[in-house]
Amino acid sequence: MTAIDPTGAAGPSSGVTGHSLFAPDQRTNARNASEKRFRAYGVVAITLALLALLWLLISIFSAGLPAFRQTFIEIPVTLDAAVLDKAGHGDPKEMASVTTIGYGKQIAKALAEEVKAKGVDAGTLTDKEIGEMVSEDSAANLRNMVLANPKLLGTTVQFQALANGRIDGYFKGRVTMETAARDKNTSPEKLMLADKLRAAGVVVMKFNPGFLTMTDASDKRPEAAGLGVAIIGSLYMMFVVLCLALPIGVAASVYLEEFAPKNRWTDLIEVNIANLAAVPSIVYGILGLGIFINIGGLPRSAPIVGGLVLTLMTLPRIIIPTRAALKAVPPSIRDAALGVGASKLQTVTHHVLPLAMPGVLTGTIIGLAQALGETAPLLLIGMVAFVKDFPGAPPSGLFDPSSALPVQIYNWTQRGDPGFVERASGAIIVLLAFLIVMNTAAIILRRKYERRW
Amino acid sequence: MKDLRLERDVQTSTNKIEARKVQVYYGTNHALKDVDVDILDKTVTAFIGPSGCGKSTFLRCLNRMNDTVASARVEGIITLEGENIYDARVDPVQLRAKIGMVFQKPNPFPKSIYDNVAYGPKIHGLTRNKAELDEVVEGCLRKAALWNEVKDRLQSPGTGLSGGQQQRLCIARAIATSPEVLLMDEPCSALDPIATAQVEELIDELRSQFSVVIVTHSMQQAARVSQKTAFFHLGHLVEYGETGTIFTNPKDPRTESYITGRIG
Repeated sequence: MTAIDPTGAAGPSSGVTGHSLFAPDQRTNARNASEKRFRAYGVVAITLALLALLWLLISIFSAGLPAFRQTFIEIPVTLDAAVLDKAGHGDPKEMASVTTIGYGKQIAKALAEEVKAKGVDAGTLTDKEIGEMVSEDSAANLRNMVLANPKLLGTTVQFQALANGRIDGYFKGRVTMETAARDKNTSPEKLMLADKLRAAGVVVMKFNPGFLTMTDASDKRPEAAGLGVAIIGSLYMMFVVLCLALPIGVAASVYLEEFAPKNRWTDLIEVNIANLAAVPSIVYGILGLGIFINIGGLPRSAPIVGGLVLTLMTLPRIIIPTRAALKAVPPSIRDAALGVGASKLQTVTHHVLPLAMPGVLTGTIIGLAQALGETAPLLLIGMVAFVKDFPGAPPSGLFDPSSALPVQIYNWTQRGDPGFVERASGAIIVLLAFLIVMNTAAIILRRKYERRW
Repeated sequence: MKDLRLERDVQTSTNKIEARKVQVYYGTNHALKDVDVDILDKTVTAFIGPSGCGKSTFLRCLNRMNDTVASARVEGIITLEGENIYDARVDPVQLRAKIGMVFQKPNPFPKSIYDNVAYGPKIHGLTRNKAELDEVVEGCLRKAALWNEVKDRLQSPGTGLSGGQQQRLCIARAIATSPEVLLMDEPCSALDPIATAQVEELIDELRSQFSVVIVTHSMQQAARVSQKTAFFHLGHLVEYGETGTIFTNPKDPRTESYITGRIG
C-alpha cells in the first residue's frame, strides 16, 4: 500500500500488532479508563473537602457573627448624689462603699421612668421587672464610670446599658415567646416591652466593640463577656514563644546542620526531635506543670508559663522546617563562600541562613500559628481559670493571671447560658482571623525573601 | 618522577606548592596515593585523568577544602612557599584567601555583581574604605574580562548573568582576595564553546600574576592552556611534566593510552 489514507478506514496494512493507530486496543482502553477513574476520585475528594470547609465556615460564621452585634438600652440616668455618695465629699474611696446593687437600682429606676416618658405601655410589669431587662453588668460599668469621675454625681448622663442576655437573644432569634414563657429569667411580657422600646428607639442593636475589649463575664451575663483578656494573654504568649523558640530553634538547627559532627549522638538527637514534634500537646502541659510551676515556682495561669510550655511544643516544629531549609541551600554556595576564605560561621550567617530565611520564617510562623490555637497544655497550667482583670503591661504582666483565645473558646462552650454559644463561635472567628493574618504574613515573607540561585 | 625538564624549569621558575607523599582517604577508601608534585609559580598546571582518578581530590587538598568533608583524611606534606599548609597552626580561612578556588559549576552568591566580588576583600579586611573597595572590584572585574559587560549593572544580581559571565564573575571573586594560587576545578565544563574560549584566554592572562592549577576533562583544553600537565590514574600521579611532552611523547603507557583514548 503506497497511498497514505488519512482516515485509516482502509485498516492496518502492516505492523507487528496488526492494529490501526486510530482504533485503540484493549490495553489502552483499560489504561485510559483507570486514569479517568483516578481523576474522578480526586475530583470527588477535593469536592468533599471543599464542602466540609464551606459547611464549617457557614456554621461558624452564622453562629458567631451575632456576637459582634449587641443590644443596648440607651437611657438618661440621673446619678442621685444622696444615694451614691452618702457622705457627700465626692471622695471615690467613700463612694466605693456603694455596691453595684445601688447603681443597679438607679438604672432600673431610670429605665422605668424612660418607659413612662416615652409613653410605652409596660403591661403588668413592675418597675423591678423592667429593671431586669438591663444587664447586671451595666451597674458595674456605671459604678466604674462614676468612681473614675466623681463630678458626674448629681448630673443626668446618657447611659448606654447592655441589655440582658435574654433580650439580646430575643432580637437575635435565640429566644422566642415560647421559650421565654418557660424561662424564669425572663418573660414574654418583657420581650413585648423590648419590642415596643425598640420601636421607640430606646433599645438599639449595634456593633459591639466590647466583644474584643471586655473581660470574661460570669455564667449569667453572656452579654457582657468579651475577649479582651484572652487576646492579650494570647499575644503575650506568642511574644514569649517568638522570643524563645525562634532564636533557640534556629541556633539548634544551624548547629545540628552545619557544625555538629555526624555521629550516633546527633542521629539520636535528630530522631528525638522528629518524635517530639509528634508528641501530643497535652504531654507538654504536664511537663510544664511539673517543671515550671511545681519546681520552678512560677505562678499558675500566667502567660509566661503558657509561653514556655508552647515554646517547648513549638521548638521541634521550628527546628524541622529550619533544618530542611538549611539542607535545601545548594552546597555550591557553601563551597563558594569557603573558597574565598569565609569562616564556617561567616558562611552560615552571610550566605546559608539568608537563603534559608523563607523556610525558617514560614516554619516559625506556622509553628506560632499552631501554638496560638493550642488548648490542651494550657488547661493543665491553669489558664482555663476565670480571669476578670486584665494582666498588666509586660514584663510584669507576663506573670499576671490571664486567659488565652482557644481556652476561652473551650471555657465558653462549657457554660450553661445559650448566649455563650454565640460568644464561643464569635471567638472562633477572632481566632481564625488571627491565624489567617499569620499565615498571610508567612506567605508574604516567603515571597519577599525567596531568591533563585 | 625525576623529569629533567622539570628540574630545568625549576631554575627559571620557583616552586610555589610542593606536595610530598600525599595520601587521601575517604573513610576506608584510599583515594589518593603517594602524590608528589611541585607546582610552579606563574604557570598553568593542568591535572588530567579519567573520572574518579583523584585529580579533583588533590586539587581540593591544596586549599584544604577537603576539611569540609567529614570522612576525608589527608596525610603527607603540602607546602606553600615552604610552609606546611596542614600544620596545626594554619587557619584554613587564611590559607583559602591565599589560594583561591573556582568551581565546576558557576556559583555566584545570590547577591549583586559588586557584592560578589567585594565579599572576599570585605571579610578579610583588605580595603580601608569604599573607594578602595570600588577600585578592587573594578580591577578584578577587568582582570576577569567582565568589566565592560557589567560596569553599568554592578548592582544587579550576579545570578542573572549568562553561564560564561557567571564563571568569569566567580574568577573575579576568587582573585579579589589577591591570592597567590588559583585553583580551578573543571571551570569550563558547564560552559558553551564560546564562553570556554573566553575563560581559557583569561586563564592564560592570569598566569602572569598567579600560579594557576586547573583540573580538566578536556585534553584539548589542557594542551591549549597549560605549561605543565599531571596525569592521574586510579589515585596515582602517573606522569607529570611539560604539557608538550605529555601529549606528544608520554613515558608511561597508561598516559599514552589515556591520551589516545583507550582508557578513561
